[in-house]
Amino acid sequence: MAKILIAEDERDIRDLITFTLRFAGHEVVATSNGEEAYGAAQKILPDLILLDVRMPRMTGYETCEKLKSSEPTQHIPVVFLSAKGQESEVQTGIRSGALEYIVKPFAPDQLTERVHAILGTLGIK
Amino acid sequence: MSAIILRNEIVHYEVLGRGRPLIFIHGWVGSWRYWIPAMQSASFSFRAYALDLWGFGDTAKCHEFYSLDQQLSLLDDFINELGIGRVALVGHGLGAIIAWLYAARNPSEVDRAVGISLPQGPEAINPRLRSASPADLADWLLGRSAATEPVRVEAPKTDQLAIQTTITGFQDFDLTRLTLNLSIPHLWVHGQNDPAVQAPDQQRIAALPDQAHFIPFEGSGHYPMLDETSKFNRLLHDMLSLDSGASPRQLQLKEEWKRRVR
Repeated sequence: MAKILIAEDERDIRDLITFTLRFAGHEVVATSNGEEAYGAAQKILPDLILLDVRMPRMTGYETCEKLKSSEPTQHIPVVFLSAKGQESEVQTGIRSGALEYIVKPFAPDQLTERVHAILGTLGIK
Repeated sequence: MSAIILRNEIVHYEVLGRGRPLIFIHGWVGSWRYWIPAMQSASFSFRAYALDLWGFGDTAKCHEFYSLDQQLSLLDDFINELGIGRVALVGHGLGAIIAWLYAARNPSEVDRAVGISLPQGPEAINPRLRSASPADLADWLLGRSAATEPVRVEAPKTDQLAIQTTITGFQDFDLTRLTLNLSIPHLWVHGQNDPAVQAPDQQRIAALPDQAHFIPFEGSGHYPMLDETSKFNRLLHDMLSLDSGASPRQLQLKEEWKRRVR
């Protein structure tokens, strides 16, 4: 079981991702913007952070850069949730320090598989 | 984990999504958990609830609440306690019986119903369901796949007495008469290879009223929602998308389809 922090501003999607990962056996902390996500990450030090790119207050990139410049969180892998057709944004995300990105739209079971694969490469079950 | 207290005991449920209410009711082997893919799929248009009946999953194991009437009261109390309005019910096995009975007694409260592996009568239920342990039943009814793992994991939480008591109690109900008189639109789904509950015969299917429809899942056993998840979710979506009061007679299985996060 991993501790996963997610940041997604659309409530329905946030709820669905939380539900999906929680019942795949993970502890999930959900936030609705980058600012909240940054604050939560400092407190809970998750195993993995999933960030939507376009969020109010602080974008996913800004959040990622801030996380990577903070000592307690700089080692935590960040994965972006990015809409299809925003490939240029994805490159920006990778440059900001993200491990990889998951392209939306995705089915819930695909998200679980992808997250498990990422956790597997990190040696987290 | 979400829970409410009914009759001073814990009743576990989960909920996902926003929209018109929909309640999933599990069968004799398993718990709310095997509805997860269906809840995920339905959550884009519906507020999808799934609960654990008395003696199952994480709901209290109280022997005095195991009768079919008490399980029916649980659904009634759950709906009232959470202030759920006119609802769609989706039940499997035991859950389908409860959905049918609830709809028959409260037709103004139920918008439509879907029954999976609904037994025509007590004789349609394999006696093994009463005698084997929940873990053995899971082994018998499930293949070894990731999709069926939720049932396998949750099965040992079941109190075997809850299975036995509800099956025994089913003998007191005339489901055939009840189905013929059910006034709401209802869909009857059955896995063609279901070893636990016998599929309805052609005579019974032919006698279904206009607002009812039967759809067999040729590649499924007792759990069509797990054996053919995409087809099941697509059919459920089509059923739930019908105008209120519309007959499901035109529904048919369609190509596999996946609901995706935007």
